[in-house]
Amino acid sequence: MLQQVWSYIAKNQHSIWLSLLQHIEISALAAIITIIIAIPLAVALLNHRRAGEFVLQVASVIQTIPSLAILGLLIPIVGIGTVPAVIALVLYALMPIFSNTYAGMTNIDPVLLEAADALGVSRRFRLFRILFPLAMPMILSGIRIGVVMIIGTATLAALIGGGGLGTYILLGIQTNNNAALIVGALLAAVLALLASWLIRVLSKVPLKRLLIGLVALIVVGGGVYGVRAVTAPKTTNVTIAGKMGGEPEVLINMYKELIEQDNSNVHVTVKANFGGTSFLFKALKSGKVDVYPEFTGTVLQSLVKGDQTVSHNQNKAYQSAKQALSKQFGMTYLRPMQYQNDYALAVTKATAQKYHLQNFEDLVSHPELIAGFDPDFYAQEDGYPGLKKAYGLNFTQVKTMEPSLRYEALAKGRIGVTDAYTTDPQLRQYHLVVLKDSKHFFPSYQVHH
Amino acid sequence: MIEIKQVTKTYADGDALANLTLTIDDGELFVLVGPSGSGKTTLLRSINRLVVPTSGQVFVDGVDVATVDLQDLRRHTGYVLQSGALFPNMTVEQNAQIQMEALGWAPAKMHDRIRQLMHRVDLDPEVFLDRKPSELSGGEAQRVGIVRALAPNPKLVLMDEPFSALDPLSRRQLQSLVRELHRELETTFVFVTHDMREALQLADHLAVIHSGRLQQVGTPADIMAKPANDFVRNFFDDEIARSRYMQQVAASGLGKVAVGDETVTLDGRDTIFDWAAAVQTQPDVVVRVGKTRLVAADLITYMARMTGGDQQ
Repeated sequence: MLQQVWSYIAKNQHSIWLSLLQHIEISALAAIITIIIAIPLAVALLNHRRAGEFVLQVASVIQTIPSLAILGLLIPIVGIGTVPAVIALVLYALMPIFSNTYAGMTNIDPVLLEAADALGVSRRFRLFRILFPLAMPMILSGIRIGVVMIIGTATLAALIGGGGLGTYILLGIQTNNNAALIVGALLAAVLALLASWLIRVLSKVPLKRLLIGLVALIVVGGGVYGVRAVTAPKTTNVTIAGKMGGEPEVLINMYKELIEQDNSNVHVTVKANFGGTSFLFKALKSGKVDVYPEFTGTVLQSLVKGDQTVSHNQNKAYQSAKQALSKQFGMTYLRPMQYQNDYALAVTKATAQKYHLQNFEDLVSHPELIAGFDPDFYAQEDGYPGLKKAYGLNFTQVKTMEPSLRYEALAKGRIGVTDAYTTDPQLRQYHLVVLKDSKHFFPSYQVHH
Repeated sequence: MIEIKQVTKTYADGDALANLTLTIDDGELFVLVGPSGSGKTTLLRSINRLVVPTSGQVFVDGVDVATVDLQDLRRHTGYVLQSGALFPNMTVEQNAQIQMEALGWAPAKMHDRIRQLMHRVDLDPEVFLDRKPSELSGGEAQRVGIVRALAPNPKLVLMDEPFSALDPLSRRQLQSLVRELHRELETTFVFVTHDMREALQLADHLAVIHSGRLQQVGTPADIMAKPANDFVRNFFDDEIARSRYMQQVAASGLGKVAVGDETVTLDGRDTIFDWAAAVQTQPDVVVRVGKTRLVAADLITYMARMTGGDQQ
């Protein structure tokens, strides 16, 4: 295992390094914005206890919303990429930093506040020489909690094309690559611990020097950012993105090479493992992405509106998808590739031999096999519900599971039969038998744009 | 001069001060005394307007405090709180110079002033100036509190039960320190306490307050000799019985009217134990309390009249 991880790191050193930097960038940006919002807000609300309590309640409620849901809610408003990721992280970290600042400042010994009043100190003196220093331990622990939370939650940025270490975690889950998963998770955890330690160390530095340091950091960081933005090459013309996994990555890189071969002045940026279907489609809509490969079946089933029954005729399916996309979204659906990825049902070789299974009908007489299906497949009308009707299949026990896990589950005998994509390499890896769809129930899932 | 005119302060649960009128002369050590919850602290705070009266007015040197720049008023008023109330994030020196800093004193001048005052309250500046409040004992912290209050040379110093949290020894030391400082400076001290013995020992004049009302104003001798009402009598009863003030001896009818120069003059606030000590060193001593002269035989007569420790 350890060896696998090392060799994975060695192979992907450069991109892991970039992801780490990206993760730090997103986290630092989110942390600084949160601090800039939360602390002045807490100070402003110090003498308005009701408003302060109200903000505290709102921040706590935001905290209870799963971060994934916040990301989902933000996509229609601000699109995808770094911006919604940072906004979600800020919303998330607001509560610990605000509540600790507020609590730290409202719980100062009233005798000291009376003394400050009685001595006639100025408001500035009161805030910067008395309130802040006395509340500082609480504020710093709030910042520490917030930053650790940000670094952990920032792994979800990968879901919406924000990049960062989450890319490796998602990739690891999607492609069943434990080395990638461990690299992503471990680096994120180490980063969180380091940040926590750093804040603890900084908490012993006097406030004045800390503020000067923070300002300097913002200026330098902003400067570097600005210079990079100005000097960044502007040859990027086309962005091709792909879904999670190795297969789309191969596809989009093929496209890149084809496009650049024909047009020497066009620079193609490839964004592999960009996210799930809806994220990619929204990215395409908002123009963040110019091209991404999509299945005809998915277009008709999930993306375009209207009750689109998927034709089993390849060409018909393509035409109706093309028309719908162009009419509803003004998109062009390019001609299909010579590549097909269909749904199928798969069993192990042993099971196939034992029960003499060749096509779907053969399964009808073996309802005792445990079925393990992708949640989409289990619920969609073109999946298991349709199969039940078309073939009269009726397994007594159906489990829904992550697509990436079901092959292994099948190979290990935890389930007896699963849905499969005909291009999945695991079919070969585990020597699985794909049963025949003799009634041509499944539509063809070709890839287009 | 501080004039408190018909001040009423009403809180949700009742009046803390009810139509209270009081005048404090310049240069006095004036003690506000009363049981807890009597309104004495509220009265003190209305002087620098930490408490805003519901009705009535407070004048400091003829100026209504409701009309002045509060920050300026407070920067020129010393304030000593219970247990020092030093800011734990600042050193002793930083704490002591807060008001001078706000008034824009030059750093060197502040430093000199604080060193001088530290010496005066028996704290070595070399040792204490850079310490944090957490490194001070209760008595040391309160000495620094006094330095802080006196630092900008205020005409008025307000003290809110400054010694109530201290051990008896530190309390006695600080009480005599306050009396000495008051004698040296031309500063008005207004001192709040619930401890009647402390009140009697410190005060030039004292005001007894109960339930937000003024019960009696006078010198300690006046109040001990002629309590204005039952509350005042009861409030001081234990203390008077225990302490055996000379004032009581003088008021008991013993002795003769003083004529010439007597050897020893005792204050009304001194006790018969001070007298006994004087008799011990000089058996034929004649003491004078106010207008009464007393000889050693009077001490024996007085003690003979005492029964079970509760004789008036």
